[in-house]
Amino acid sequence: MSHEASHDVAPHHDAPHYDAPHYVAARVQRALAADERTYELGIRVDIRGDQLFLRGEVECEERRHLVAAVAGETAPGLKVHNEVTVVEVRGPGEEETL
Amino acid sequence: MKIRVAAVGDVHLGEDLRGRYRGRLDGIGERADVLLLAGDLTRHGTPEEGRVVADEFRDLPIPVVTVLGNHDYQSDAADEIVEVLRDAGIQVLQDESTVIECGDLRLGVVGGKGFGGGFAGKCASEFGEPQMKAFVRHTREISELWHKALKGLDTDHRVVLSHYSPVKDTLAGEPLEIYPFLGSYLLAEAVDAEGADLFIHGHAHSGVEKGLTPGGVRVRNVALPVLRRAYAVYSLGAEDPEV
Repeated sequence: MSHEASHDVAPHHDAPHYDAPHYVAARVQRALAADERTYELGIRVDIRGDQLFLRGEVECEERRHLVAAVAGETAPGLKVHNEVTVVEVRGPGEEETL
Repeated sequence: MKIRVAAVGDVHLGEDLRGRYRGRLDGIGERADVLLLAGDLTRHGTPEEGRVVADEFRDLPIPVVTVLGNHDYQSDAADEIVEVLRDAGIQVLQDESTVIECGDLRLGVVGGKGFGGGFAGKCASEFGEPQMKAFVRHTREISELWHKALKGLDTDHRVVLSHYSPVKDTLAGEPLEIYPFLGSYLLAEAVDAEGADLFIHGHAHSGVEKGLTPGGVRVRNVALPVLRRAYAVYSLGAEDPEV
């Protein structure tokens, strides 16, 4: 296939399926993993209508806000619900005998 | 006589968390004989983050042994991170072993980051494209190095320290589709061939703490989001109080 032909079939932003929620969610998840502000691999992304839901855990409040910021930039027009929580770390607890 | 092994993984430190972990380690000298870190010490894998890790874990009253995780490779600065950690007195295992003296007992630790590929019957093979062969070969070579390192280790107890998981047990809660990126049965096979008291790993943030290899070696996933405590302590060679 020539370069021109390949270009002709490349997806456009107004293509009917390019913005299917399935692909938008995948793009957001990819951005969260690859954007240097986040590098978060374990965030679940769900889209329902114009609502985007983020779930998972991060280490601090600042990282929680960055996850929402990157998601919002990647999927403009969707309302982001940041349900990500900050991991609560307790003391070391009891030892286990093996 | 027993050896108490403290362990945690996936602390993902950065400048934004500087100084926060250190306080959680107060009193660790009374609770454990050695601290093992199961990789993903940083988030971006930069030398700057490596320095934060070094500062949080340096000069503890017990030896600290670590392996790297996939995040620690992200900025192609793994060698520099290793150097920073070693300068802080932290031992970094890269598919090799070390022996820690714990009173009259000797603890052997074999470690490295490990890698993925999946689990027996549902795993990738060294077949097809060079990229696929390289992926699986990397895990196989690691497994062979661990097998060799364990063979040469004559100590009272032996622990294997990894970032990736050797079994599916401790991945329960993770999506099944990503299991091949979370670990490999080849890591368990190497350990079962030579025997060990305990296999420590991290990486699987949504997994569970406890599992077993097919050969009966106890597996513990110590990723911080799984433990939800500063570190776990496992006692080797003690009388089980419940038996």
